[in-house]
Amino acid sequence: MRSRESVLIHRPARGRLGLPCWLVLPSRTAPDAVPLIAIHGIQRGAYEKASLLRERAETLGRPLIAPLFDRQTWPHYQQLVRKGRADLALLALLEELRMEGIWQTTQFDLFGHSGGAQFSHRFAMLYPHLVRRLIVGAAGWYTFPDAAEFPLGLAARQDRRDDWGPKMEAGLNSFLRLPIQVYVGEHDCKPDENTRSGPAIDRQQGLDRLTRARRWSQAVRDAAEARGLRPDIDLQVLRGCTHLFSDCVARGELTDLVLPEPDAVASSETRFA
Amino acid sequence: MTTYRTPFTASLTGAKWAFSTRRVQQSDVVGISDRVEEARSGDLVLGRVEKIGSHKRLQLTSGRGSELYPDDLVVVACGDRYAPDQFEGIARLNRQSSDLLASGGVLGQMRQKNGKIACPTTIVPVGLLTDANGQVVNLSSYAETTARPGARPTAIGLIGASMNSGKTTAAAALANGLRRAGHRVGVVKITGTAAFGDYNAYIDAGAHFVCDFVDAGMVSTYRQPVPQIETALELLLGLAGEANCDVVIVEFADGILQSETAALLRSDYVRSEVPSFLFAVPDALSAVGGSATLSEIGIAPLAITGVVSQSPLASAEAEAMTGLPIWTRNALCDPAKANALLASAASAAPFCEVAA
Repeated sequence: MRSRESVLIHRPARGRLGLPCWLVLPSRTAPDAVPLIAIHGIQRGAYEKASLLRERAETLGRPLIAPLFDRQTWPHYQQLVRKGRADLALLALLEELRMEGIWQTTQFDLFGHSGGAQFSHRFAMLYPHLVRRLIVGAAGWYTFPDAAEFPLGLAARQDRRDDWGPKMEAGLNSFLRLPIQVYVGEHDCKPDENTRSGPAIDRQQGLDRLTRARRWSQAVRDAAEARGLRPDIDLQVLRGCTHLFSDCVARGELTDLVLPEPDAVASSETRFA
Repeated sequence: MTTYRTPFTASLTGAKWAFSTRRVQQSDVVGISDRVEEARSGDLVLGRVEKIGSHKRLQLTSGRGSELYPDDLVVVACGDRYAPDQFEGIARLNRQSSDLLASGGVLGQMRQKNGKIACPTTIVPVGLLTDANGQVVNLSSYAETTARPGARPTAIGLIGASMNSGKTTAAAALANGLRRAGHRVGVVKITGTAAFGDYNAYIDAGAHFVCDFVDAGMVSTYRQPVPQIETALELLLGLAGEANCDVVIVEFADGILQSETAALLRSDYVRSEVPSFLFAVPDALSAVGGSATLSEIGIAPLAITGVVSQSPLASAEAEAMTGLPIWTRNALCDPAKANALLASAASAAPFCEVAA
């Protein structure tokens, strides 16, 4: 059995609102190695993300950072800007890790599964300049780049003087230029107890994650084209997979989507150039 | 009237070198000239503190304020000053006694003062400092060299209705918010009088790069030719780009009615480099009048900020009358909100790419 060429460590939170995280640190990392930030779902599986993606991160020499938003402090972290501002907590963690020398590029790849995918696409809408590549997996629901009221869309809610939708819309052109990989399991096509539903959201997004992923991907594509931009979004339906992250990794070659080999990225970039 | 050389570096080391002289290589100074009446803006002056007045401290090159005492020897720069809340003064020295116009180390002759302000601290010019060629040492010799042509950062201007309307607070807050959002932030103070207050405020806020007109060789921009200030802006924006900043905040001193600021805001060059502005005002009426004045020269600010934003009632009045959003200091410090503001500014500047 070969010895590991990376370490998987737990970094405790610094301070009351600080985020703990799991870190995969390859023994060999190039100065320009772009880190992957992996955001867990509502089951809080930060360790699972780090451990299942460790080997590929190690092979690629890329640091992996999997923050943990605990249930008590961050009950609505996936909505990003609710109670406590999860976006600020992640920014603060990343700044600390940069100071510590964990990463030093100007951008990172941002990946989220389920609730983490909700967090990730909303984070990228607010801070598109920080994200090199966005991977959105099996989100329960989305903020659409349309005129529905936030958080379903980008319009300000009528009772809010200073709402987040318009803040996201301000940077929408940059967001729409991002390379975005969306995926969802083939069998993730039935609503469950964690699927948010209601007349407005069901009408806009559909009833289940598969339908919602399709509609959001198309909405991003349409919004980009309406603005004269070339969309760079791809949806992969993972054959035989359910909603479980571990299932998507084991059956669906999810690792290739999240941490593609350099050749795969190059060909993708060529394709969209 | 005599000019003589003397190896007095040691005694000058004991003098208090003002912040305005921060770029000067002190070892270049090898002589002194007593032709103080010939002083022009930017010339270095060795002076002796005569009477302590309004400015009780001198801002040192080290970045701290030094308590002044009678008979202190100071090295300052001859210069003009325009400050409605303090003094107006010109770059002219009186051999008997001259006026400390700014605590950053600007010596000149006071023309008028605000009624709330005490008389200026007076300083007796001992002489003008000269170099090895016998030339008077001037700040213009220490301007930054030309920046390499390169990518220009997205620029957001910070203008105000008046002095003390909250421009620096807003600029620092925005610098902080953008830095926390992951941007590399520069702040350029393009007009005003040499002082470390704003300079330090921007550094404290987390700006990666800070510079002002002193870095372009001027002690003050008051009564300086507008083309010279435009050239300074070109240099300082270039330096911000060279420092890899992707966004730069450009603060214009005083109010939009101040002569140089008013001229710069009408300059095609300035408008092409700084296509969008935040407008800091002390109250709602200033917001209304100032917005109308700006509208006449084709400027629609992105938002209103400044002292007015501390008052919800005044903010509501200003927003209702101008239709412009009011941004508080806290909102500017918020990374997500600051980033959205930058995106709005970038969309006003189609030729500027926002890149981290």
